[in-house]
Amino acid sequence: MKKLLALALAGAAAACGGDDDGRVTFSDPFCAEVMPRVQDWVAQQHDASPPPDDPRYGGTVVVAGIGELAGGMNAATSQSYEGRQHQEYVNLMPLVNYSADLEVRPYLAESWEVSDDGTELTFHLRQDVTWHDGERTDAHDVAFTYLTVTDPATGFPNAAFWDRYVRGPEGVEVVDDFTVTVRLEPHSEFMDPWTTLGMLPEHLLGDVERSELAQHPFGTVCPVGNGPFVFRSHAPQERWVFDANPAFPEALGGRPFVDRYVYRIIPEGTTLLTELLTENIDVYVMPAPDQAQRIIDTPHLEFRSFPSRNYVFVGWNARRPQLSDSRVRRALTMGTNRAEIVEAILRGYGTVANSGVPPFHWAYDPDLDVDGDYDPEAAAALLEDAGWVDRDGDGVRENADGLPLSISIKYNQGNQQRQSIAEIMQSQLAQIGVAVQPQVVEFTALLQQITAEQRDFDGVVMGWGVEFKLDDTDLFHSERGDAPYAWAGTDNPEVDRLLEAIGAAADREEGMALWAEYQQVINEEHPYTYFYFSQRLSGVNSRVRDLEMDARGEWVNIREWYVDPASR
Amino acid sequence: MIRYVARRLIGAVPLLLGIATLVFFVVNLAPGDPALYMVSPGMSPEVIEQTRVAFGLDEPVHVRYAKWVGSVLTGDFGHSFTYRRPVLDVIMDFLPNTLLLSACALALAFLVGIVLGTIQAVRQYSALDSSLSVLMLFFYSMPSFWLALMLILLFSLMAQTVWGWPISFPASGMTSTGYEFMGPWDQLKDRAHHLVLPTLSLALVLTAGIARYTRGSMLEVIRQDFVRTARAKGLPERTVVFKHALRNALIPVVTLIGLYIPVLFSGTVFIELIFAWPGMGRAIVEAISQRDYPLVMAASFFFAIMVILANLAADVLYAVVDPRIRYE
Repeated sequence: MKKLLALALAGAAAACGGDDDGRVTFSDPFCAEVMPRVQDWVAQQHDASPPPDDPRYGGTVVVAGIGELAGGMNAATSQSYEGRQHQEYVNLMPLVNYSADLEVRPYLAESWEVSDDGTELTFHLRQDVTWHDGERTDAHDVAFTYLTVTDPATGFPNAAFWDRYVRGPEGVEVVDDFTVTVRLEPHSEFMDPWTTLGMLPEHLLGDVERSELAQHPFGTVCPVGNGPFVFRSHAPQERWVFDANPAFPEALGGRPFVDRYVYRIIPEGTTLLTELLTENIDVYVMPAPDQAQRIIDTPHLEFRSFPSRNYVFVGWNARRPQLSDSRVRRALTMGTNRAEIVEAILRGYGTVANSGVPPFHWAYDPDLDVDGDYDPEAAAALLEDAGWVDRDGDGVRENADGLPLSISIKYNQGNQQRQSIAEIMQSQLAQIGVAVQPQVVEFTALLQQITAEQRDFDGVVMGWGVEFKLDDTDLFHSERGDAPYAWAGTDNPEVDRLLEAIGAAADREEGMALWAEYQQVINEEHPYTYFYFSQRLSGVNSRVRDLEMDARGEWVNIREWYVDPASR
Repeated sequence: MIRYVARRLIGAVPLLLGIATLVFFVVNLAPGDPALYMVSPGMSPEVIEQTRVAFGLDEPVHVRYAKWVGSVLTGDFGHSFTYRRPVLDVIMDFLPNTLLLSACALALAFLVGIVLGTIQAVRQYSALDSSLSVLMLFFYSMPSFWLALMLILLFSLMAQTVWGWPISFPASGMTSTGYEFMGPWDQLKDRAHHLVLPTLSLALVLTAGIARYTRGSMLEVIRQDFVRTARAKGLPERTVVFKHALRNALIPVVTLIGLYIPVLFSGTVFIELIFAWPGMGRAIVEAISQRDYPLVMAASFFFAIMVILANLAADVLYAVVDPRIRYE
């Protein structure tokens, strides 16, 4: 039996391949052709340019999170947060990126200019960036990527990025090998898509049918990028391994300090914490708020918290007679002690939200005059004002037709925080004469109920993650009232006007005034009870130095992370 | 015997078709929609609709059913919605890992279970018997996910951070980070090292059951006339216990293999989750919550095949250990 066990183990070990220098073999025909070229190129570059004499070079960093990098490095079709972080900062290169204060700065594009009428955007690319198989990255790759993502056949997730761009061949022109022009209507934040869209290699993917691109092995089996880290291997649901790119342009900081970067997938929070405490992983992405204290109390660990772009809210279905009056919706917010709830369920790692604009964002209006504070008396007065009075003395208000103010709040199964929100609202709103029934529904089923035409819900606890380019059009514009995301069923000409004006605003200055006005109007319309923007949390082993984590994400400066030489 | 196996295999075909049909309708009629899983502000609604068409979800259920059965018969399980790769490739990534883990757990459980059960039967009512009984009952009544967490707490966390034991075990994964760079022997050791805790958490519960069964069955056999005869002939106790008694006592225990394999597969779901083991159980649970229809259907189908094969193997083994049984 022991022999059998050893045999099985040996077989399993052999099946996974790999030889002395850790070369991985690939069975997929595309990868089998491409990856040896990448491995040869890296080995050659490594010999040609050994790391400079600096103690910071060397070592391995292991980051772990609960989920896969869904969609992998396929920048044209994937939309997961972690996947995009790796496209932007690890394996691929967008044309530009954001600085810590969200100003656009050069990256793959050395510079750019906009024509006077604002309809032509020209990028001048760096000439020293190569794909990891040795081909140069040039304007043809940019044009190819643009054509790919603006073609509906590809299924690029955030199609709204290109709403004010000219899609297809009309919209892009290769001026010379390192200069490319795209056409657009003038609008503010037109650079935003270019900060997140990683460029794709035309010489490898140019022949792929666009509708087939999502299924191409490039995404998760053998991506070939041009960024600071070269893909080595990926075992699904287990780990991704990347090596430092020895030929990353000096002007952008040169090769990363660490030799190797590993992303591990560990689905269980307790296990993740154990691995962090036992120093098997260096970074735990997104520990639960109740694990924070343990990390803070451990001497060799560092706890990080920084703003996220995710907010949690209760969406009100204004199509329902109980909720059609904005005064009722406002009263529901005022009758709920949101600050206390946020403190309780997030242990303070979040801030109360009054709109979908994150507090760190330039469009956020700190002077917004909102009636968001907990004030049950004012809430009761608002309800009375709207004609909801307890007419039969049963503790629940009715309107003139005798319809009781009784609503259900749905939340998805397995989400403790959202369950708490629904339950606390039930008890707090009962005090102002509103009957709330929390109702748990399995997640996908819940999404179906709220997006389908019937809109089978009164209130729903949900979360959104926003882009840096904020856009509530799909949520609140009356013309999108039948579209899947119009949960609130908002129909307010003021909201429509402002959403359109914001989209067309020429610059941030003009946009800022419109955003301030919009936040005011949204507060009066009150389609949602906004709850909070949560903080993103991280546990970091202090042997890894110089990590910068902020609203842009965890991986922003991974090129500059280094491992303390004494603890390698 | 060969005819019997062939007959059983042919009989399994309509069974599998029935399972395929059942799985298809359970999966497809459950509320929810795979395309909706992508709902986020970064995902334009028209792209979601387009994805639905690309997944073939715009067609009525009966058309999808006909297509699915048709393609399964030709060995094509389609593309996974979440991994965006052929379902068979995805399954082949995960299935070997689950098989490795379950095979180790099964082997360990039977080996240890039979040995302990035999010892208990031979030393019936001794202090050893009673203490082993208590211990077995303890493990038997313990949920395996809790056991897994306790093992991690003791042998990973405490062993390394508090007690500083020379031996500790990794809490997650199948291999260490630098696995690709190890020599074959170190790779093997590394794999074995990572197997210890998940195998134990899966196996202990089973071990307890098997030990109880073996003890009971052994006690029954040991009182029979042929064992007494063997003793009376003056055979050494060793031969009596192992050759005469144990071989007969194992007959009912062997059939447990068929019963335990489905139990094992459901047990791996939690174990794989806790130990970050990239296996089929984890993949299937994730696929269900994301409504990855092709993957769920194919994976259930594969599990069904394995359970059928395991049952068949148990029946065949039965004939092997008990020459009185003949399948005609």
